[in-house]
Amino acid sequence: MKKLLAFVLAAAMVFTLTACGGGSTPTTEAPKTTTTAAAPGTTASGQTTAATPETTAPPAPAANEVTDWVHYLTQVNEMETFNILYSQANKELQVLTNCIDGLLSNDNYGNLVPGLAEKWETTDGGKTWTFHLRDGVKWVDVKGTEKADVTAEDFLWGLEWVLNFHKNEAANTSMPIEMIQGAGDYYNYTKELDEAAGKALGIDKLKEMVGIEAKDAKTLVYTCVDKLPYFDTLTTYNCLYPAAPQLIKDLGVDGFKACTNENMWYCGPYVMPTFVRENEKVMTPNPLYWNKDCKRFNSVTYKMVESGAQAYQMYENGELSYVELTEDALLTIHDNINHQFYQNLVEARPTKYSYQIHLNWNKNMEKSEDPDTNWNTAVQNEAFRLALYYGLDATPYLERTNSINPLKCANYCYTMSQLVNFSSGKEYTERVMELIGITPSLDNYPRYDAAKAEQYKKQAMEELAAKGVTFPVLMDYYISGSSTTAADTAFVFGEMIKKNLGDDFVKLNTLTYVSSLANEVRKPRKASIYINGWGADYGDPQNYLGQETYGEDNAYYSISYVNTNDITEPELIEIYKEFTKMVNDAKNITDDMDKRYEAYAQAEAFMLKHALCIPWYKNVSWQLTHVNDYSKIYAPYGIQTNRFVNWETSKDGYTTADYDTFAASYEAGAGK
Amino acid sequence: MKKNKKMLAGEETPVVNDISAEGLAAVTGQSEAELFSFVEYHPEEAERIGYSEYSYWKSVWKNFLKKKSAVIMLVVFLAVFIFSFIAISPLCTKYRHYTELESNKKARFTTPNKDYWFGADNIGRDYWYQVWYATQHSVMLAAIVGVGEVVVGVIMGLLWGYVRKLDRIFTEIYNIIYSVPTIIYMTLIALMIGKTFMIMCVSLIIFNWIYTAKNIRNLVFMYRDREYNLASRCLGTKLGTILLKNILPYMISVIILRMALAIPQTIGMETTLAYLGLLDVQEPALGLLLRNSREQFANYPHILIFPAVIVSLITVTFYLAGNAFSDAADPRNHV
Amino acid sequence: MLKYTIKRLLQSLLTVFIVVTIVFLLLRLMPNDYYFTEDELIKLTDEQKEDKLRAAGLLDPTLTQLGKFYKNLLTKGDLGTSRRISNGQPVWELIGEKFGISMRLGLIALGIALLIGIPMGILQARYKNGIFDHLGTAYTIFINAVPRLVAYSLIYMLGVKLFKLPSMYSIRDPGRSSILPIVCLAVGSIASYALWMRRYMVDDLTKDYIKLARIKGVSTRGIMFKHVMRNAFVPMAQNLPVTFLLTIGGSLLVESFFAVPGMGPLLTRAITRYDTNVVQALVLLYSVMGILGMFLGDLLMSVFDPRIRLAGKGGETR
Repeated sequence: MKKLLAFVLAAAMVFTLTACGGGSTPTTEAPKTTTTAAAPGTTASGQTTAATPETTAPPAPAANEVTDWVHYLTQVNEMETFNILYSQANKELQVLTNCIDGLLSNDNYGNLVPGLAEKWETTDGGKTWTFHLRDGVKWVDVKGTEKADVTAEDFLWGLEWVLNFHKNEAANTSMPIEMIQGAGDYYNYTKELDEAAGKALGIDKLKEMVGIEAKDAKTLVYTCVDKLPYFDTLTTYNCLYPAAPQLIKDLGVDGFKACTNENMWYCGPYVMPTFVRENEKVMTPNPLYWNKDCKRFNSVTYKMVESGAQAYQMYENGELSYVELTEDALLTIHDNINHQFYQNLVEARPTKYSYQIHLNWNKNMEKSEDPDTNWNTAVQNEAFRLALYYGLDATPYLERTNSINPLKCANYCYTMSQLVNFSSGKEYTERVMELIGITPSLDNYPRYDAAKAEQYKKQAMEELAAKGVTFPVLMDYYISGSSTTAADTAFVFGEMIKKNLGDDFVKLNTLTYVSSLANEVRKPRKASIYINGWGADYGDPQNYLGQETYGEDNAYYSISYVNTNDITEPELIEIYKEFTKMVNDAKNITDDMDKRYEAYAQAEAFMLKHALCIPWYKNVSWQLTHVNDYSKIYAPYGIQTNRFVNWETSKDGYTTADYDTFAASYEAGAGK
Repeated sequence: MKKNKKMLAGEETPVVNDISAEGLAAVTGQSEAELFSFVEYHPEEAERIGYSEYSYWKSVWKNFLKKKSAVIMLVVFLAVFIFSFIAISPLCTKYRHYTELESNKKARFTTPNKDYWFGADNIGRDYWYQVWYATQHSVMLAAIVGVGEVVVGVIMGLLWGYVRKLDRIFTEIYNIIYSVPTIIYMTLIALMIGKTFMIMCVSLIIFNWIYTAKNIRNLVFMYRDREYNLASRCLGTKLGTILLKNILPYMISVIILRMALAIPQTIGMETTLAYLGLLDVQEPALGLLLRNSREQFANYPHILIFPAVIVSLITVTFYLAGNAFSDAADPRNHV
Repeated sequence: MLKYTIKRLLQSLLTVFIVVTIVFLLLRLMPNDYYFTEDELIKLTDEQKEDKLRAAGLLDPTLTQLGKFYKNLLTKGDLGTSRRISNGQPVWELIGEKFGISMRLGLIALGIALLIGIPMGILQARYKNGIFDHLGTAYTIFINAVPRLVAYSLIYMLGVKLFKLPSMYSIRDPGRSSILPIVCLAVGSIASYALWMRRYMVDDLTKDYIKLARIKGVSTRGIMFKHVMRNAFVPMAQNLPVTFLLTIGGSLLVESFFAVPGMGPLLTRAITRYDTNVVQALVLLYSVMGILGMFLGDLLMSVFDPRIRLAGKGGETR
């Protein structure tokens, strides 16, 4: 249930430089497409999808294309494992997704496209799914030598590995257990075994207990716990990836778990002959890759840099093919029309994470275990929340992420945009914004409504004063004690609250944790608010809204962050129950996807109208680059985004104008 | 030196071998009576002790003042430190406290001008206030660590040197601290206990006192068995008195040097800790400013220059002044 | 001498044992939750966490764990496998990868520092208060005054912008890409060797035996090279092995600055990621190196200076 989760605080703020903005061109179109096609077979149930090539572009070696791509990552993002089934972190998956293929992949619009499976179907609304594997897919070693065929059974071995407690230590189990019949039982079964017996398990027991079957060498059938019309999107995620039984046998269980680039087997577009920890990795094309049509680089090199400043330096020296700009570099370029890169400032596409301000319903005091009744009473008051919801003009905060076009980072929905589309081509979050009455704009922040905020503030102060709440209400907010970026952002946040709502209402109290948000803050319930991002794991709004329901064990945010089940205010409980019912009703609509999404959109709008949480921002950064981001795979879920296939590149580097063209033609192509 | 050698070799100067009265008379050409006369014996006079106007601290001060460079640096440093109080007082700034600083989108990375004397940082906060506030903060941290380290180090060092039973234990502690990079201990403490100002002070003292102690102990070894101490012990002087009155004065110069050097060392350590993310970002310090400036200085040098100059100034001052003062404090250099 | 050596070694073993044990216990004082990544803390239920901890042997009493650790170490030389730095990889293998690189860079830098620093110190002492002396002192003060972080940043900028040197260490082109890290490693040591050398020599120049030598008519050159230098080498000799061994340990700042895949940043990374086995192995390694360094320093000193008899002083040589 809890899957690839973005730790805003930990990941985004500490390790990547959030602050990136720039570009002189306010004309750049929002990259968000309004009309993505509902690709046949990706959404509607019961429909067979015909195989189409991964993308239409044939490998045309244009003269001006980059042939050897040099990528960079910061050193803290060095890989910890090469076992794709074990990895749960983006730092590994963004690399390994190039080494091993899954059943399906995505295209640059986020549509599902065939991967190892050339076609797939469900005939009963999503209960059972059949995947037909293509011929001629080979496992190769690091030298590109053929090792074995990829067969349907390999997926059984893969799932067995994931579910076997003694092999994978519970990593990546949550989604298979949630969705595949018998998976949870099998996991518990392996846990009861002792270590040796667990490690010795083959796939016999799995076949018997779990809803996965290899009908023949090329046909794979999954049986889900329920009708899950979105199950096929899960196959782009590494928890359903294959494993070669021969390799497990060769390396032994411990050896496979600790496999390296040298001894692992590959079936993806690239192999990785060079890996120097914390220095560089080099990938070269897999000579036996099944998809001869896909365009690949002659080599892809990852440089592990020390900081964003170093990366910029290296880009300047021509040592890197792209660079995400740090705050100061962006400003320097943007402020100087004669700068060599002035024309080259381009805006990246939003990352897949949707950030929210989560309100903690049951918070404890900073220094003791006692509940902070002042905050708890205040936050459970709807007028108080609505004052926050309407009263905060997030622009200064967004400038921390994108100082040139802050409002491109504005986020008004709980669900991330471009997750799913209605069959009419309308994007899901567009509908939600329609329901809550927000029209995104690049000129002002549409949710901010000073009059409404003032009115709710007054109401809240009256109602709450009667309940003995003292003002200003202290809002405890925790940041990592080692992140200056987070401290600066929190500083701006505090100023913003003061400016928008006055200092007699709420006061941001920024505190720091030493090393673990979970241990020091979340478990002892110390924070009033969390600003966190969530990236989807599969293509359905359930993956977002399901985290916020009342009284359900697998609602991640409700349980782990905001303690929804401890709410005492009866009115709020009713609101939550209503919301939960709406989500579950939507979940049960499996035959008509439009109806389903509409029901989810209604639930989300209901949630936002009551300000159960406050949508906050998404990440849109500025960069200098030699690749057209719109030609890259764009997937709001799964691990396909970082595959180096079919990239449109230019040796000269792209300009702002180029990117405007790309964005426009991307949007125009969206309906096709 | 060369002159000296010649003189000592004595080729040109007449050699005076005979220092008897006759001999002298022969050289000077005066009679014996003219040269010498008898002194009357007074019993009281015989008991009088020679006395000079010598005062230890006066001599220290006099000797210290002879080192011009050190004196100048010290004066500059004191001026800077005193100025840091003026700089963040209402005389120079509108801010009353660090938390009152305001961000200003238009002033991001502003270079020094009449509104922002030291320019502004990445979110347009006044850098002047930050630098001076951090200077005070860092000097205070360093001073606390310096003093703490020396106080603990001297006490422990005296015990270590004088109480033979403790030698084994202290040597072991020394080995344990010395043979593992301090950064391990600091990281463990930062992750387990916290990163606040006080925690950092205490842990820096915990891991640095041993070096002072070792120094002191070696000196104690040199002096403890000298005759006057033996005599003192035979006369039944208490251990504490011997340590304090007989031995400690010899160590003042070493103590001063260690204290002076501890201050720049602490600031250097602060920078490293900041780089590793082991300093709390909510409490400004020069180390943090330097760490933050590292990524930005290529484009905006003023972010680096101001704190770096101050840190360098502090370091050079204490380095020079410490050496000069410890030379001056050594009674053997007093004539 | 032999008896002394054996005694010293036994004492050193005891020290290593104490250091490793203390760090082991410190690590166990950390809450168990640090064993998990943030992701795992979310994804695993309390029951699963318990299972994992038990499987890893972390729920045993601390003393049992300590016993197991020493048993594996002493009987099999096994320090376990890394968990977070490189999942499942034996710790020694991981360290081995990095050791060589740090050593190569460290040795070159040390060599350069000695080759430049010592003659510099000698010249400074020889022409005391001359221009060269003042220049040398200014350099020493500058290097010590500017925080390392800043000095390295300046070197980095100069090297990359002015001389177009690669800003990152590369395994494939170690020649050019090693220049900047080596320069950074060496600038500090040059200053400290020059400083030591100068100080010891100046101290010695005022000693009585030098005066005697002068009286006897030994040339200045002879005094410098035959007497003063040799004596000044003695305290240097004592410090050299420690410096040498710690150089192998890598420099945290330099190595992360230039992405040198060496030992330097490994330790702090292992601690912040709670990779306990790696931390233990590194602490073991560092303490052995530190203590070995002290011991070798004492031995070397007694070689240079026959007057020093280690055995008599019972290990109180420093």
